[in-house]
Formats: sequence, structure tokens, C-alpha cells
Amino acid sequence: MRYFNVMILGPTQSPYEGGVFKLELFLPEEYPMAAPKVRFLTKIYHPNIDKLGRICLDILKDKWSPALQIRTVLLSIQALLSAPNPDDPLSDNIAKHWKANEAEAVETAKEWTRVYASGA
Amino acid sequence: MGSKVTDELIAIVRSVIGDDGYSNMDVIRALYMANNDVAAAINIIFDTPDFGKKTRNSESNGLSSSYDGRAGGAIRERSKSADSNGEENLSPNDADADADADASEILGSVDGEWWLVGSAELAGMSTCKRKKLKAGERVILSFPSEVSNSPSTTKFPGRGRPAAACSEIVRFSTKDAGEIGRIPNEWARCLLPLVNDKKIRIEGCCVSAPDVLGIMDTVILSISVYINSSMFRKHVSISLKSPQSFSEESVVHPLPNLLRLLGLTPFKKAELTPEDIYRRKRNLDAKEKSGHSALTNIGSWKKLKMDAEGSNVESEQEPVSEFEMDSIVGTVDCSELEEMDPPNTLLCELWPYQKQALYWMTRLEKGRSLEEAATTLHPCWDAYRLADKRQLVLYLNAFTGDASTEFPSTLQMSRGGILADAMGLGKTIMTIALLLAHSGKGGSCSSQLLSQALTENSESCNNSDQSQTPKKLAKFGSLIGGGSLIVCPMTLLGQWKAEIESHCEPGLLSLYVHYGQSRSKEAKSLAQYDIVLTTYGVLTSEFSSESTEANGGLYSVLWFRVVLDEAHTIKSSKSQISLAAAALSADHRWCLTGTPIQNSLEDVYSLLRFLRLEPWSNWGLWNKLIQKPFEEGDERGLKLVQSILRPIMLRRTKSSTDKQGRPILVLPPVDVQVIYCELTPAERDFYDALFKKSKVKFDQFVEQGKVLHNYASILELLLRLRQCCDHPFLVMSRGDTKEFADLNKLGKHFLKGGKDVSRRDPDDVPSRAYIQEVVEELRKGEKGECPICLEAFEDAVLTPCAHRMCRECLLGSWQNHTSGLCPVCRKTINKQDLITAPTDSRFQIDIEKNWVESSKVTSLLHELKALCSSGSKSIVFSQWTAFLDILQIPLTRSNISFVRLDGTLSQQQREKVIKQFSEKKDILIMLMSLKAGGVGINLTVASNAFILDPWWNPAVEEQAVMRIHRIGQTKSVNIKRFIVKGTVEERMEAVQARKQRMIAGALTDQEVRSARIEELKMLFT
Repeated sequence: MRYFNVMILGPTQSPYEGGVFKLELFLPEEYPMAAPKVRFLTKIYHPNIDKLGRICLDILKDKWSPALQIRTVLLSIQALLSAPNPDDPLSDNIAKHWKANEAEAVETAKEWTRVYASGA
Repeated sequence: MGSKVTDELIAIVRSVIGDDGYSNMDVIRALYMANNDVAAAINIIFDTPDFGKKTRNSESNGLSSSYDGRAGGAIRERSKSADSNGEENLSPNDADADADADASEILGSVDGEWWLVGSAELAGMSTCKRKKLKAGERVILSFPSEVSNSPSTTKFPGRGRPAAACSEIVRFSTKDAGEIGRIPNEWARCLLPLVNDKKIRIEGCCVSAPDVLGIMDTVILSISVYINSSMFRKHVSISLKSPQSFSEESVVHPLPNLLRLLGLTPFKKAELTPEDIYRRKRNLDAKEKSGHSALTNIGSWKKLKMDAEGSNVESEQEPVSEFEMDSIVGTVDCSELEEMDPPNTLLCELWPYQKQALYWMTRLEKGRSLEEAATTLHPCWDAYRLADKRQLVLYLNAFTGDASTEFPSTLQMSRGGILADAMGLGKTIMTIALLLAHSGKGGSCSSQLLSQALTENSESCNNSDQSQTPKKLAKFGSLIGGGSLIVCPMTLLGQWKAEIESHCEPGLLSLYVHYGQSRSKEAKSLAQYDIVLTTYGVLTSEFSSESTEANGGLYSVLWFRVVLDEAHTIKSSKSQISLAAAALSADHRWCLTGTPIQNSLEDVYSLLRFLRLEPWSNWGLWNKLIQKPFEEGDERGLKLVQSILRPIMLRRTKSSTDKQGRPILVLPPVDVQVIYCELTPAERDFYDALFKKSKVKFDQFVEQGKVLHNYASILELLLRLRQCCDHPFLVMSRGDTKEFADLNKLGKHFLKGGKDVSRRDPDDVPSRAYIQEVVEELRKGEKGECPICLEAFEDAVLTPCAHRMCRECLLGSWQNHTSGLCPVCRKTINKQDLITAPTDSRFQIDIEKNWVESSKVTSLLHELKALCSSGSKSIVFSQWTAFLDILQIPLTRSNISFVRLDGTLSQQQREKVIKQFSEKKDILIMLMSLKAGGVGINLTVASNAFILDPWWNPAVEEQAVMRIHRIGQTKSVNIKRFIVKGTVEERMEAVQARKQRMIAGALTDQEVRSARIEELKMLFT
């Protein structure tokens, strides 16, 4: 019971609206003293998520606290989808794109959501 | 003439006259004048008042300046008659009185009158040459003052020299010729301190002297000694409050010596003097060699105790076994005592031995008739008739050196004693019989006036006919006479009340319980009752050690009788409670105790001090004559204490027999059984793990050779092991919630932001609303869940930021052991800032949910269930209230109703619990903590006792058993002790047994020390 499949809905008024994203969540042995490992399985166009689906989120790294729960972790991920942060990128290309031409990047994200996260 | 003054000579002179006061030039001049005769030069310096450049107030001795020719003549006259009368001159004359008046005017700083003590002749020694002294010439005695350095501040500036060697030399001089010589050391020694304290003053004149004086010639002087009346006032009462102020080797008191030198002999000798006691000691020494073993026993106990000093652990108190105590205090063969029937107002029958006690007590109280007592000289005081024409009598305490002009009658010697019957013989009922048989009001015997005033506000004063009582005791004058005061431990308050009410004819005695916040502070209202009951706690709180005047309440009453129940409470003589008890004023004093000696012989001292048994209330004397010899293994101390106690102590035990050899008291038999339990495998694992851990620690101490230094921590280790034998849950109990048990305080603590407000941001302090929420949650006892493990809190802690989580969870989230971030708000916190969240349970785990029976609990339940059907009542003793908590669970689950008595209950609650247990048929079990129920409580309704854990001190265990095995018990008594096999409990028993053997043979200090370590090693095998 350490391995979970998770689905997150793309937050409204974000490029990911309408998408259903699959993630895998793994609780290490030290949990809750160590952070859970979370990864997007669905492809997603986001400056803080790389193509392997790894997420750049402080609470999953050094800011982990045992008082955080799976629910709070997932909410944080959802919030990250609403507010991409290209200044602290995991995927350089996407971040560059986002900075150079945000409108175009948002369009790409919408496109990816439609293609990969349409719930099928 | 003309020879050179050498440095050597100067140095010699210097060595005599001291370094200051005279310049080198002065010395050289003197030597020159004396033709280099050192002795002569010194005399020149000293005898020429104006010698040297210092302006010294010649003859400024305050005493001498009061004398003119007239007074001198008077003295001369008297000294002549002294010649003809022989050694003593008791005829004062008018001139003395005049001189007195003069002197006291001049000595304005000392008020009070001067009384002539007596005159005597003494042989002075001349220290000068070629001077002349006529017979009858006035001489002035000059005393070096002890602290003098500069002439301007000394009392006797003329001779104020600091040289240490001269500090005891008293010189005499005349107005004309200057210094003549010195008086014998014997006189100087006893005069000096008294003169310096301005207690006495001296007049002297020459009786005869050689025509021309030479060095070392004898000069016969006559001196008269006057004593100042102020000296007595300070010393009227026995100084109770500073028992330690007497130095160990009791000091030589100057005044008795002076009186001896003056040739005064007491017209009434003290019956008891220090010399007597020394002599008695010697006789005893010669006589007896037996009783030795008991003595060394106690001695070694004492040593054991001293070894353990520093660790004030209760269980460490070495008990004195009954046998040893009996060998010290002796069980008096009292079968010869007469019996006295109690007044018919006592509503119960007394046993014959109780009637004997009543006879004995009334006899001691009444003693000699009151008048006789008031006119009989106290045995410790000498009476001297002063030479003064006012026919004064001076009384001198042969032990303390205190002087008084008031008649020290035996009234000051309180009458009473120690009723030391063993537990369960009914000391309470004997005392109640005494209350009924002999009652009155305090102080009624000391002044008619006082007793008349008292009869007005008391119904039952039976001593109002003291018409000829000779002297009013000033000491008692300001106190209001009261009835009997009974001081007892708080637990017994209710019992005393109940017993007095049930055994006395109703309405006969008025009773008042002086306890609680609303108690009366008015002496008058206290004094109107026949019996006042109070506790040691109240007594201590009303006692202020600074001044007697400030003490109100109980101290403003002169009691007819004070009874200390469980009097061993006052055993340590330095404790407040002991001082407080001793400071009470009373005509009659009683100590009730089954154990007059609990730990050391010193315990007796406190009792004797309370009883005012002179001279033993003087610590110095007690220590020197009894305590020390006793500790050093000298049996004279023991013999002496026995002879002191014999007349004032009555002790019978349950095995005492009457005239016909029958036991004085027949009680149902007691059956003591030990139940051995086996640990379950799970318990065994737990115990072994704990034991291993403890042993590692202990072995460390052994390796470092610090076993005895770490006594307290070792006892703590043992404590945990012993608790583990009861139930492993006990080891998991925690004790640090106390401080913040009050939730309001807790809230305030958070809002203040802990201790270091200054160092914090105001933002850091959690908001008031949040705190209120947290506190409210705690108050409601809401379970809540830990944010980390998401389960119900287990051993919850509060962070300084007021977040609650399991201790284990929080500490686990940290990288290091001492500090880390708050998992909720990420604030840095230190481990020591954590507060254990207050909860109802004292256990780290929920003992109800995780309930497991320990093997001891199982076997106890087995026993209890077997008894339940028979309907006989049981008391279950443990020394840990936490274990009582644990026991409540299975009892509740099996629907067995029980009551519980422990130290947390208030007095009313206790009374209620005891009443419930005694009266309700369906309550068969009482859970009782040892400390709450150790003393006095009468629970004869029960006939079974279960002692769940062994105590270090078997005497305490015995006390507990005595709650049920005592007068009133009709059924046979079963005592069951539980011991877990193969644990520290079993070894504790072995150590106890071994101790008994060890004591039997006298051991040296070193042996005892190593034996002690051996014992501990035994426990850890």
C-alpha cells in the first residue's frame, strides 16, 4: 500500500482546464518523515515539470514537513498547475518558451492537454 | 645613666606595649628615664597616664569617675568589716546605694539598677616598684576590651591596648600612683566578659599591701561586685528557638564561677547539675557492660544513614526496628501500675492496661500539687541570696548559665510525658479518657487573677480555687488560658473528632476543629473550647520563627494541655514543625507515638524539647552527654537516655503482659502470607530489557567507583524496576504535566511567548484566537489527531507555537535530537521548549484501550474475587498511586465496587471515603496509597490487607497492617504480600534479611560502606 495512482483535474482558468492528469505517488518507508515521491504519468506542458513527469515543488524536496498530508501535496500540485513558475524551471525549453512568448506557450499547453489529457 | 638606648631594648619594650599608641621617641624617653631598665620603662609608659603624645582621657573609666571621697570611704568602711567578718560580707550600707545611683546615672547607656552581689578579697600581684599603696585606698580595675583597637573607641581608653596576650589581664591602679598590679587570672577570666557586656561592675579597694611595693608583691584587695538588673530580663525564658546556638562543648559560664569566687553558696542547690550527670555517667560506665549490642546496632544504623547523606530519598530512611527501639527506650514493666477508672462520662469500657495508662497520665499531670509545684525550685536552678540590702535572690541555671531574679518554679517545667504504646493499643482512647478525667484551663494554676478571668468565659474550669498561688509567671501573663490542644496529622483529624464525639457524653466537652482557611485567629474564641483539634500543618503556618509576639492564633493561648499525636512528626529538631511544636505554651504536654525513635536517637531530643524536660532541651548538653557518646558506641549515652525516659514514658506492646502474665490485649490472630507471582513471557521480556539497561548504568557507576555518589539515580533505576514488577505500564507513566495542568496558565504561557519575549518577533507569538481554540480543545479533552501520524495523540506535546502532536512523531521528524522545525509552521524549536500536553491520564499510552493484566494484577484479582463471595472487606496497598489507577480498570470491568484513598483527597473527602467503606455493605475494597493511609486511620472493618509491593522500610509496612489489626478487630486478619519471583523484589527481601544479619555484628565505617555497595550489587544481579 505504498504505491498510488492519482488523478488530478486541470484547474479552471488555466491552460490545463478540462484535462485529467494521471500521477503516480509513492510513499517511501520513512514517510511521513520523508516526502512522498510524486510523478506525472500524463504528458504535460509545464515549465516546472519535465518530460519524465518529475515535479519541481519545494514541499516535495527540502521543504517537506511530516505534517503535510497526501491531500495537501496534491492540492499544492494543482496550485502549481494554476501558477506556473518559469523562473524556477525544471524543463528549460518550456521555461524559455514561456518567458519568450507566454501566449504561444499557453496555447501549446492547451494543445497538449487536449491531446494527452482528454480523459480517454 | 648615660648608657645608650639600644634597638634591642626598644624592641623588648615594644613587644610588651604593642605597636601603636606610643612612638619610638616615647619608648626611648621612657627607657632613658628608667635607666635602661626594661621593666621600669614599661611601667613608666603604662603608669603615666599622659605618657606619649596621644591625648588620652586619663582615668576615664566610667566606673571610677563616679567615686568621690565619700564613696571611697564607704567602701573602706565595709572592707574593714569584711576583714572582721571573714570571707563574706553580706551587710550592705547606705553608701552603696548612693554609689549605685551615681553609677547608673553615669552609665546612662545601661538602664536598670545595680545590685550588690557580694564582696570578697583577692590577692593581687604588684607589677611595679617603689610605689605606695595605703590600706583602704581605692583601686580602679581596668579591663581590656575584647575588640579594642583604637583608644578612642574602647570602653576603657586608659588601658585599651590590643595586644592579644594582654587581653585577659585585668590591672588595677590608683588615682595617684597609676598602675599597681594585676588581679589573678582566675578572677579576670570570669569578670572580663561580664564587665564588657555591662552586666556587672566592680569596685575595689586595697586591704593591705607592703609599705613599699616591689614587683611580684602580694596586694590584698577587697572587691565588690554589682550586677545590673537588666541582665535578667533577657534571660527569663529558656531560649527555645536557637537550640544550636549552644556550642557543642558547653561554654564555661562566667557568672556561676564568679559567684563561686565571691564565696557565695546557693542556699538552695539545684537537684540536677552538670557535675551530677558526669558522675552518673561514670557510675554507669563502671557498672554495666550489657545492652551493648543494641547500642552498636543503632550506632551502625546511624553510620549507614550518614553514608547515604545527600540523597534525601524517602525510602532511604533507615528504620529502627521495634526490637532495637525497645532496647533503647525499654519497655517498662508497667504491670505494677495502679488502675484508675475513667469518669463515667467516657462512654466505653477501657481495658485494664488502658486504665493503668490513665492512672499514670493523671499522676504525671497532677504531679505534685500545684501550690507545691509553684513553690518548689526547679531542679536545674541554683538560688543565691545577694548581698544587696534589698534582699534579692538570684537564680542561676546550672546548665545554661542563665540568670533570673524570678522564681524558677517547677511550674515552668511542664508536666506530661510520652505515651509510646505500640500501635493499636488505643492511645487515642486513653487520651480521651485523660481529657475527661483531668481538664481545666491553661494558666489557671499560675495566677488567681488570671483564673478568675477565665472562669467567666468558661464553663468547665475546675481549678479556680488557686488562692494561694504565690507568684504570677510574667511569661504567661499575656496569654489567654485555653483548654486542650490536640495536634495530629491531617488524615487523623476526622478520626479524632469522631472518636471524641462518640466516646464522650454528648455536650460535655466543646470541640473545635482549627483547620482550613476560615479558622478563627482569635485567641479568645480558641480558648473558650475545651478541646481544639488542629494539624501539624496549621501549627507550622501559624508559627513564625522570628518573634513570639507575632505568632497569633494557637500561640496566643496558654493551653491547659497540648497533645501531639503521632509525635514522631516533630522528630527532626531543626524542622519548622519541631520548633513550632516546642514553642507552644502549655501546662501539660503529651507526646503520643508508637515509634518514639524512628531513625536515630536524635528523634528523642525533639520530644524532650517539646516536653520541656530540663535540662535536656539544651542541645549542647544533649549532644555532649547523650548523642555523641551514643554515636561513638559509648553505652553511657544509652544508659542516660534510658534513665531520662523511664519516669516520663510509658510503652507497652501487644506482647506485654499483666500481673498474672496474661497478654494485656487479646487480638484475633494475624496470618501473613507471601504470594509469589511469575512474570508472563511478555512481561519477562520487558523486565529483562529494562533490567539490562539499568544494569549497564549501574555497572558504569561501579566502574567509576561512584556508586554512593549516585545513590539517587541508582534508587531511581531500582524504582523503575520495582514498578515494572507491578505493571509495565507504570514504567511508561510520565510525570511532567504538573506545571501546566492549569489550562489558563498554559494559555497565558503561550500568549507571552514563553520565557524570552524580548528575543522574539511579536509576529512569532501565535494569535490569541488560536491559543483559545487550542486551550478549549484541551479543556474539552477532545481527542484530536496528530498531524503527523494522523492518529489519536499519544503522549502529546505542545510546541511553543502551540501546535500539538505526538512526542514521538515530532522528535522523529527532526534531524538532530535537540532541535528542529515545527512540522506545522516550520518554526525552529528546541526540545526543552516542548510542553507535555495536559491530559487526564498519567500514562503515555491509553491504558484502557491497551489494557493488559500483569501477573500481579491477575493474582490480586484472583484473591479478591475469592473474598468477594464471603463479603469480607479488604484493603489494597501500593506505594504508587499510578498503580492504583491501573487497578481501577480491572475492578471497574469486573463490576467490583471500590473506594480509593490517596494523598490527593481533601480532609472531607477522606472522611467520606472512610465512612463509605465502613458503612456500605457492597463496597468491599479500598485502594489505598501508603503515604495517605500510613498512620492512625482505623479500618478494623476490613480483615484482609494486600500489600502489592515491598517497601524498603518494613516499619511502614507494619504501620499499614496495623490499620486493620488493632483494637476493635474481631475477625482474624489475613495479610498477603505479593512478590514477583526472579526480580528485584525478591532480592529486596534478601537484602532486608541480610541487613538484619549485618547489623547484628558491629561493623566499622569502611565495612559498612562496602557492605552498602555490595547490597546494591546484589540488587543488580
